[in-house]
Amino acid sequence: MSRSVFLSAGTLVTPIGVGLDAHEKALEKGVSGIKQYPEIGFHQEDLFLSKIEFIDQDRYNELLKSALNDFLSLDFSVEVLRGKTKVIVSSTKGNIDALPFDTFESTRQILQDIFGAQIEIEIVSNACISGVIAINDAANYIKHNQFDYVVVIGIDVISNFVLYGFQSLFAVSDQPVRPFDKDRKGITLGEGCGIVVLSSTGLDTNSVAYLAGSSSNDANHISGPSRTGEGLYRVVERVLRSAEISADEVDYISAHGTGTLYNDEMESIAFKRCVLECKPINSYKGFFGHTLGAAGVIETICSMLSMKKQMLYRNLGFGEQGTSEKLAIIEQNTPCDIDVVLKTASGFGGGNAALLFKRIV
Amino acid sequence: MRLIGTCFLSARGLMMDGKLICQFSDENWLKEAYGMLQVDYPKFYKMDNLSKMAFICTEQLKTTGYFENLSDEEMALIFANSCASQHTDMKFIHSYTEQSNPSPSLFVYTLPNIVTGELAIRNKWYGSNCFYILPTFDANFFVNKLQHLKEEDGNFCLCGWVESKLDATGVIELEESFLFLVSLNEIDKEGSLINQLQETLTDYRNFKI
Repeated sequence: MSRSVFLSAGTLVTPIGVGLDAHEKALEKGVSGIKQYPEIGFHQEDLFLSKIEFIDQDRYNELLKSALNDFLSLDFSVEVLRGKTKVIVSSTKGNIDALPFDTFESTRQILQDIFGAQIEIEIVSNACISGVIAINDAANYIKHNQFDYVVVIGIDVISNFVLYGFQSLFAVSDQPVRPFDKDRKGITLGEGCGIVVLSSTGLDTNSVAYLAGSSSNDANHISGPSRTGEGLYRVVERVLRSAEISADEVDYISAHGTGTLYNDEMESIAFKRCVLECKPINSYKGFFGHTLGAAGVIETICSMLSMKKQMLYRNLGFGEQGTSEKLAIIEQNTPCDIDVVLKTASGFGGGNAALLFKRIV
Repeated sequence: MRLIGTCFLSARGLMMDGKLICQFSDENWLKEAYGMLQVDYPKFYKMDNLSKMAFICTEQLKTTGYFENLSDEEMALIFANSCASQHTDMKFIHSYTEQSNPSPSLFVYTLPNIVTGELAIRNKWYGSNCFYILPTFDANFFVNKLQHLKEEDGNFCLCGWVESKLDATGVIELEESFLFLVSLNEIDKEGSLINQLQETLTDYRNFKI
């Protein structure tokens, strides 16, 4: 009854460019999408953003269309369009420039134009863990034989709304984000779109086997992570148990690593409690900033690229250990046998989510 | 799976398992409902309307007795609505466009999943949880998610449809909260659960007070 689930990377659209090849090169060379923008803060501060400059109007809708266009150029998109397919969108705010009045209507319209009016669309809006949850939900539909393909689209764009919001919380760094570093000062806001497909067979040679996923709440504070890493600890333990994988078998962790003092500290405590502190770990926020609802999807794709190349990519912005539990932060690109990857995310509302995938050999 | 209890809250009143618990006379009916619960939880006053509604219905559902003696990962949460945190979004936008002071306390509520976060904090629930955006209440969607959940560790799931919707001029058009508690491992017909949920919500919405 329960089918195997495979995960195939579709595309990425970020400031680095469009498509997987551009991103593979950027990861190898350590090229970041983060730049300084003058007088963009609420008090006209100069701030750093990872902003897509090749889209200037109707930015959310155009980003979604751009990612879908690239997706349609992939060989396997033909069968995805033809099969019994569902689409899951992961986004914190959707078409944010139209708020408070566009709560995902434009998203649904764009998807119906491409996948047909009858396409089933599910929208996950669960803060920064949305992307990981969306992939886990998609896996459930495949496991239960309800769809041939589930397309997961993670997307969010930068806006004054979110920038001013994070500034009001004093969570925006005045320098490019430095995940897990001792001098980290907060997030750099980013934007982008990532697309992955879940199915019961691999769709190309870089597909991976999805093992398990889940979510858990910190039950601690709506905008501050738990001091003990409780939710993250529990969800990682649950996912390992459900996949029957020991902590020792994990080869690499793609962490959340937002670059705020409290988040990165919390993650270090949780990973120590899971006996994962010696495992190579990075955050991709130094490349893309924090892409919020898109982050889980974008970073899962990056860790799939890492597996494909059998290369651990360095954690951009990291210089010196800065968490009370020391982690094995990847400081230089390092060749490595990567068979099992753990991807985690944590966010506002006390949410934590994790998933595990394995190389197909 | 089996439906254990349902609760509905709107400006008209609070209802549980098909029966009227109380009507509201105060314009601030959320505060009135909170007073009626006789619980001491000052954090309530800081919540947005979505969280307040979900909180009240959850406290009311505790009278089913099923919340006691739960292990802390046994309760999963699946919540949804049609317009995310639209009401608070508008207030937050107002705070920086009109008042030149982006409000951090409003900003944190511009995520619909703060609702499930508040319930997890209140009840020390560490189970799985997620918030979805659907065009309208869809019992099929919830039952499908519950079927997936049955394979996880949890035994119970608290589901909710919590809405605070604005009209085109920015005035609240509709506020309602429909919560239901499901036992995942008890046997009952799932097809009938879908009908039961859809009919229960319709009955609540049409309830003559």
